Amino acid sequence: MLKSKHYWKIFFLAPLLLYLTIFTLIPISRSIFLSFQQKSGGLTFSNYAWLFSNFQFREAFVNTISITILALALELLLAFSIALFITGGGKKRILQALILIPLGIPTIVVASNMRYIFDTDGFLNQILTRLHLIEIPINWLSGGALTLFSVVIADMWKVTPLMMLILLAGLERIPKELFEAARIDGSSFWQELRFIILPLMKPFMTMALIIRGIDTFRIFELPLALAGESFKVLSEFAFFEYRNYNNPYTAAASGTLLFVMILVSVLIYIRVSGAQKETA
Amino acid sequence: MRRFFLILLALLFISSCAGEKEPTLKVSMSLSDEEWDVIKTEVLPPFEKANNCKAEEVQIEAGDLPQLLRATIAAGKSEIDVFAQDNMQLSVLVDEGLVEDLSAYRNILPKQSEKSLIQAGEFNGKLYFLPYRPNVQIVYYNVDAFKKYDLSPPKNWDELLHVAKTFKEKEKVGRILLKAWGNGPTVTQLYELIVSAGGDPFSFNDEGCVKTFEFLQELWPFTSPDSLKAKWNTSNDYIARESVYLMQNWPFGINIIVEEYEKKNIATYHGFAGPKREAHVIGGEVLGVPKGAKNKDLALKFIKYLQSKEVQQILMEKLSWPSMRTDVYGEVSGWRKPYYKSVMEALEYGVFRKNVPYWADFDRFINEAFQRIVIKGEDVRSTLDHYAGEMKKIVKE
Repeated sequence: MLKSKHYWKIFFLAPLLLYLTIFTLIPISRSIFLSFQQKSGGLTFSNYAWLFSNFQFREAFVNTISITILALALELLLAFSIALFITGGGKKRILQALILIPLGIPTIVVASNMRYIFDTDGFLNQILTRLHLIEIPINWLSGGALTLFSVVIADMWKVTPLMMLILLAGLERIPKELFEAARIDGSSFWQELRFIILPLMKPFMTMALIIRGIDTFRIFELPLALAGESFKVLSEFAFFEYRNYNNPYTAAASGTLLFVMILVSVLIYIRVSGAQKETA
Repeated sequence: MRRFFLILLALLFISSCAGEKEPTLKVSMSLSDEEWDVIKTEVLPPFEKANNCKAEEVQIEAGDLPQLLRATIAAGKSEIDVFAQDNMQLSVLVDEGLVEDLSAYRNILPKQSEKSLIQAGEFNGKLYFLPYRPNVQIVYYNVDAFKKYDLSPPKNWDELLHVAKTFKEKEKVGRILLKAWGNGPTVTQLYELIVSAGGDPFSFNDEGCVKTFEFLQELWPFTSPDSLKAKWNTSNDYIARESVYLMQNWPFGINIIVEEYEKKNIATYHGFAGPKREAHVIGGEVLGVPKGAKNKDLALKFIKYLQSKEVQQILMEKLSWPSMRTDVYGEVSGWRKPYYKSVMEALEYGVFRKNVPYWADFDRFINEAFQRIVIKGEDVRSTLDHYAGEMKKIVKE
């Protein structure tokens, strides 16, 4: 027989568990099940086989992974640098408030504005032309590495502030006494960074990378609005499979693959960062 | 105090009994903001007044309508009374029994209706959809840019290639816009070009299809890089901002480019011919009533109203929409006249896309063929042969 306090815990947890079951677990399970079905009935792997044989899916797969790796690396570097600069308070806090502005702008608005920069007759090409760095406008949004770069820049502009907030919270938790002790021993900034800041920041960097990684894998409206179908990503592919081609089975299969990619990436990262902690 | 509350209660009771609540007609369309402005301010209010009802407009994209109807009909809660739908996305609505059979209501069709438009709404001898607005693409071009390089608007594929090459050579960037976004815009463009070359789009590898793709492969390097983002709404921006000098788009662009952007140097004409003929796909929308609609009678009245001369004239003048009626064409005047002349001329070369149940597969295959052949430069014949085989499998099923 449970103690009465346990009944209260169950009572308060029940709505959340019910919500998660109805709106998360059941839809995900149904989608995974749908990915193994076909119109004629029966269970099959043919949807997955078809996906990997389709050149547009393969491109979307590569594009999604490329954006994730590049965007995460650059965002982490930039967010960490900004957080290091701002930490300590004072007038730098004004900069923190300004840096947070992009977070409040809807992604579709960001994408539309970025098109004014990256379009063939956009600001970037105009500046480069006036500086005589180029004669012919560069096709930033016609697919390939240039479009990857443009999407990553646009994504960085929007979400680096979020990463910065997480890392800033971590930096401000580091006891100041450690830095004082290190300076007494004559340590340089780089030594402090390597032996104090980075080890203690690891949990926060893990959290930032996981949160942003999940979002970046799921990126959708930014590349769609910015580059159209010249640069597809997995979530777009799943969307168009369902909406344009009335094929919920292949849409579910691409969605399931995306879900598995995110899950595997997060688990690998946690395992690797956890193993490093043990060996340290 | 007690008397006051009794009187108040009595008044409330009387007001609730006094007259029926006016019915609400739910109308679904897929329109741009500019188009909705005209519908909401000039089309709906007179109907609401004449029929003592309220018209509630809903924006539903053509691709989303079948899913919505499936869900609401399965739930027994039809939420839409009348819809306007792309004339190329009708098969699925008929095949899945999502729409009412309107054969008994042929009498509401005006005598002045274009006969060919009525046929577009018929499936297996039954009338499911009523004509509303046909649509055809016209070619927009920048008069000043053409004059600058002593060029004329192209009348055929050879001239189009020459114009594209000239602009690229002079300005180092392509200025001819192709709709290479993918899906519907690209399919419509390819369908027209293949028919212009004397081909059957569903065959994929007859001589007309091969010629079309060979031509596009040759033309592609000289087209605007914005082509990859060009579809019905973005194309207007490109020509208005003068990043392209020639493009094909639907007539609603006239109001945006000429009136809103005030680009008086953008002119239009009907278009260019292929090796065999000139052909322009007739798009547009038809009107239908979902199965189990709550206000079916009011919906039919609304359909009749939309087909009236007064409304068709408003749509033509304010939105540059071609009319489904033969008695409206002569009424255009003022600055719109030369643009509307292009629309009328393009309609003379009009072709309907075949309403087939495997349209979604055809859409996918022809888009992939375009990506592989035109954008990636793969071999024309072998790629088209591959998709011809895929199409045959689907048709057999």
